[in-house]
Amino acid sequence: MSFFLEGLRQAWQEITTPGSGIWQVVRVTLQVAGVSTLAGLVIGLPIGVALGIGRFRGRGALLVLANAGLGLPPVLVGVVLTLLFFPEAPLGFLRLGFSLKGVYVAQTVLAVPVVVALTASAIRDLPVGLLDQGRAFGASRLALGVLAVREARIGILAATIAAIGGGLSEVGAVVLVGGNVVGYDQTLASAALQRVGAGDYAGAMAVGILLLALILLVVAALTWLQYAGRRGPRATVRAS
Amino acid sequence: MSALLDVSGLSVARGGARVVHDVDLSVAPGEVVALLGPNGAGKSTLLECLGGVAPAAAGSVSRHGRVATVLQAPGLARRTVRANVELALAWWGVPRPGRRTRAMEALEQMSAAHLAARPSAALSGGERRRVHVARGVACRPDVLLLDEPFAGLDGETHQSLVEDTSSALRDASGAVVVVVHDRADAWALADRVVVLTEGRVVADGPPRDLLAAPPTAQVARFLGYDGHLAESGGSLLTRPAHVRVSADGALAGRVVRVVGTEDGVLLDVEVADGRLRCRDAGEWRVGDGVRLDVAGGVSYDVEGRRRTGRH
Repeated sequence: MSFFLEGLRQAWQEITTPGSGIWQVVRVTLQVAGVSTLAGLVIGLPIGVALGIGRFRGRGALLVLANAGLGLPPVLVGVVLTLLFFPEAPLGFLRLGFSLKGVYVAQTVLAVPVVVALTASAIRDLPVGLLDQGRAFGASRLALGVLAVREARIGILAATIAAIGGGLSEVGAVVLVGGNVVGYDQTLASAALQRVGAGDYAGAMAVGILLLALILLVVAALTWLQYAGRRGPRATVRAS
Repeated sequence: MSALLDVSGLSVARGGARVVHDVDLSVAPGEVVALLGPNGAGKSTLLECLGGVAPAAAGSVSRHGRVATVLQAPGLARRTVRANVELALAWWGVPRPGRRTRAMEALEQMSAAHLAARPSAALSGGERRRVHVARGVACRPDVLLLDEPFAGLDGETHQSLVEDTSSALRDASGAVVVVVHDRADAWALADRVVVLTEGRVVADGPPRDLLAAPPTAQVARFLGYDGHLAESGGSLLTRPAHVRVSADGALAGRVVRVVGTEDGVLLDVEVADGRLRCRDAGEWRVGDGVRLDVAGGVSYDVEGRRRTGRH
């Protein structure tokens, strides 16, 4: 309990002390989560939509792959990318090792399967016949895709929340790929890890409290957005 | 006038097995054709192939003009009713300026104009089906295909939707092919009824003619000929309208089943040469003796082919 209270006190102190460096860590954390989620949406959304509405051979296997990606171990992603980013490795020429850009890439690799799997699942849950009816009336693939995204927006925002939540709190890939460099690519989660390693448990708790508050804030904003369109007079469904 | 839809030797497969066999069908402009048949007869599969949704396994479908298919499931987008109809028009390729007027016209034709501003989530089952059909009507296709547009509705809603759909389809200039499950729907909607069983067309003609003289005993039974009397070399099939309870009737029988109806009872009566069904307003119990007169019915030979000349 004393760790928690000390953590709270220290968190407040770090927030209110100019030059404590915590705001730089918050900025990097938001940057990593924001860039990776955005990239995850840009890459994952079209794939998720294609898997959700498409009818092609191998779609089932791709869905299994995307769902398996939900359980992708961040540490494994971190190790594989670190090895690939070594100067002599195949992706070494990109110079992404121990860089913020490398962290973005690692987090994007983790975000993409989340967006793909949850988007495809949300689209497959759309009312029976809606997309088929669009096809029967001659809707283009683009029109069907736009309709699917619009209709499945609550599920897609859930995917966004999951991806951004992962981006804010993930630590394995960030530390391995970025090196956890203070003042450069250290995030709140990796800062907490570093403080625990240094035996500064109250400091780790302080960072953890800040991280939790940030997650709550971001997720609350996205959840508000998710259900914004559903406010207003409640729809009544009649029986017959 | 040349046909809008020409089907020749069409077979359609589903899951590797052929479910529609060797269908020939031609639909002229202005014609409303009902595809009628029992469950699993291949009606919806045939309709999907006519609309180009399912491929043909053999034979050909020639479409002269644009074909719109209104599928069985009334899947509506999460927006207002009018926006849903306008969305269908956008899919159909109608330019934005004309969509609102056409959407409202179609909703009026389907007696659903009062629902225009309502969100689709707030519609009842009958209203959803009404809007669903309105989407097809709004497209004004050369051929409109409707797959069981009245499925799953209660009696009153069903009846009212059939009546409104019938009017809307009469107003349409193109041809209509509608899959129905209920014989009464076919009589209400269609100029022509095509009966399918086991994927084959077994009867094709105007509803009144088909009902008066079904070509085979199988079709007759499907169309409600539920009474039969053995005759030499075949049987006479009857509908309740052909059989009348009469104190001095020619046939003596015994009531074996009584089912209450709005206007009286439906009686199943065992007679010496078979079993007949008739309606009556009196009070009857199982086991009662009764005398019947048969006026009408259709005779079939032992192989189920219609014999020339009515009973």
